[in-house]
Amino acid sequence: MGILTRATRNLARRKTRALIVIIALSLALTLLIILPPSIDARQVLTQKVINSIIFSDGWINSTVTLSATEIQCDYPPPYLSSTISISDVNLPQPLMNESLYDKISSIPDVTSIVPTLDVLSTANRSYDIYGVPLDNVSLTEDPSILPSNITAGRNLRVGDSGVVILDEETAKNFSVSIGGTVSISGRNLTVVGIEGFEPQGYQAIMSLTDAQAITNATGEASSYLLFVDNMDNVNTVVSRISSLDPNLQVSDGLSQLDAAQPLESQINELSQSAQNNLNQIQATGLVEIGIAIIADVAIILFIMLYSVRERTKEIGTLKAMGASNITVLGQFMFEGVLLSVIAAVAAIAVGVFGVPTLSSLLLPTPQQVGVNPETLPNGTVILQRMTWGSKPFLGSGSNVISASITPEIMLIGLGAAVLLGALGSLYPALKAARTRPAEAMRYE
Amino acid sequence: MSDLVLKIENLTKTYKLGKRDVQPLTNLNLEVKKGEFTAIMGPSGSGKTTLLNVIGCIDKASNGKVLIDNVDIAKLPESKLYKIRRDKIGFIFQNFNLVPYLNARENVELAMELAGKFNGQRKQRAKDLLATVGLSGREQHRPQRLSQGEQQRVAIARALANDPAIILADEPTGNLDANNKREIVKLLADLNEKRGTTIIMVTHDEQVAAQTQRMLYLSDGKIIEDKQTQKESLFNSPSKSKEAN
Repeated sequence: MGILTRATRNLARRKTRALIVIIALSLALTLLIILPPSIDARQVLTQKVINSIIFSDGWINSTVTLSATEIQCDYPPPYLSSTISISDVNLPQPLMNESLYDKISSIPDVTSIVPTLDVLSTANRSYDIYGVPLDNVSLTEDPSILPSNITAGRNLRVGDSGVVILDEETAKNFSVSIGGTVSISGRNLTVVGIEGFEPQGYQAIMSLTDAQAITNATGEASSYLLFVDNMDNVNTVVSRISSLDPNLQVSDGLSQLDAAQPLESQINELSQSAQNNLNQIQATGLVEIGIAIIADVAIILFIMLYSVRERTKEIGTLKAMGASNITVLGQFMFEGVLLSVIAAVAAIAVGVFGVPTLSSLLLPTPQQVGVNPETLPNGTVILQRMTWGSKPFLGSGSNVISASITPEIMLIGLGAAVLLGALGSLYPALKAARTRPAEAMRYE
Repeated sequence: MSDLVLKIENLTKTYKLGKRDVQPLTNLNLEVKKGEFTAIMGPSGSGKTTLLNVIGCIDKASNGKVLIDNVDIAKLPESKLYKIRRDKIGFIFQNFNLVPYLNARENVELAMELAGKFNGQRKQRAKDLLATVGLSGREQHRPQRLSQGEQQRVAIARALANDPAIILADEPTGNLDANNKREIVKLLADLNEKRGTTIIMVTHDEQVAAQTQRMLYLSDGKIIEDKQTQKESLFNSPSKSKEAN
């Protein structure tokens, strides 16, 4: 017989009372056990929604590439056509020829045109062959056509020919370094610089003339960047280009901005709403955890105070028999902790089976709608709604709210029960320990 | 002093009752020898129970000395008094004060557990003590399943558990019927005779007191009479008469 036997016998003596107390405690502890993983699962889900919004925001920003006096024109990629299926994404980019270049050049108010050629290589390891005009006018008008992240060697210069800049990965694939030679479609080019893999990825940048020669596209370009003398003339130039060929995709800085702004505000609203939702979930969860802790401690405090009062004579007898204050303190604290631990075991059992239902009752529903940007065949960018959490997304279960009671949470729950049991029973146990035996013996 | 187990010198106990000072014990002197069976008698409020509580270290003396086995308990703090209660004193209460959720053996064991005795040692000794008080076979019974006389026997076994220097019995027969009263007093007398246990017993009952070796009369917190008794046959009861025949 030891402290455990005495504690369990005492609980068993008042079965109904013990049962009611354990049920009340286990309700409070169930909250403590299920809320942290439930909040965490909602946090993870909402974070995914926020990430999709952040990604869309970045994507929308990246679509605004032109300033107010700039116009870009090209033929839309074939995979944006409704007649092309997703498996045809590697179809070659339609190119614009010299006659179109001449027609556009002759439009009044167009001050200069910077043609670039961006063609997917047909080599085993695909990379973009990117040709840029290496003349003074083009590089002055649009310096951004040159690589911005040179990590070794030098950048391209005006008048360069027969040279190339490779990204780090493509250079590795060619097993070439600065000064080395690569053969692309039978033409030897000297590597003069290496650029970081980010942000452009696999590409070989060279002069427009070299790129046109390699790809058998002499005089052709995939994109024209036009510079207009005045912002007020941009719309006129755009309509004149469109009239040259209705299939041309023409965009200008102002219309890009006009198209992006409503999407931006839609994204901001969604982002704000997701953040508010997350804050609300966390605040509600914390309040409920606080209530559960207070309830647990309060229940133990009151039941143990009642027990001390009810057992005053027993305390007096124990002290008369030579029990030390520490022994009495330990006895009552142990009883409080035992009650709490029994309740925690029940709470874990409830939590394991009831966490999905209970967490949806206890916490606000997380924001499950995010967005993904999509370009329509006509070049319009829209935000596609995406839903997480309600069902597996794209065959993966990782996007479903999946709060579960792990062994770690069970251990933490038991630890919390011990701690709260000790906290709740401390004052009653101290009261019992400090009871003077003579007074206790007189108590009826 | 070597055969004295208890020596009290000028013991005074004062406490406040509302605004009034109450002095249940006044300059009380007493010596008790090892192996003595002493009865303390006196009217209600004479200080009997207070004296017993002070000797039993569950109440503190206001003044004077209380030496148990030459240790002055009046000067000891609570952090040491519990050891005196545990090792030197055995209590028997009028209401038995058994722990209700423990059986007879466990109640006896509890006293030994508090003294730090090992489990195996405790169990055997508890059985032996229960046999000594005539409760063989009743070890597993909880207090509510024992008669009042049996409960008091368990309390006596519990008081003996740690071989105390003194057993303090506060009206041990106060709640018992005549038969049980006789049995309990006989048991205490036997323990005193056969084991040499020192017993100090508070009682109102002249017949019970007559079974002891010494009777002290208390009045207004002072011993007014201290006399050796001529041990009478137990209450001259029919059962005792039968035994005598």
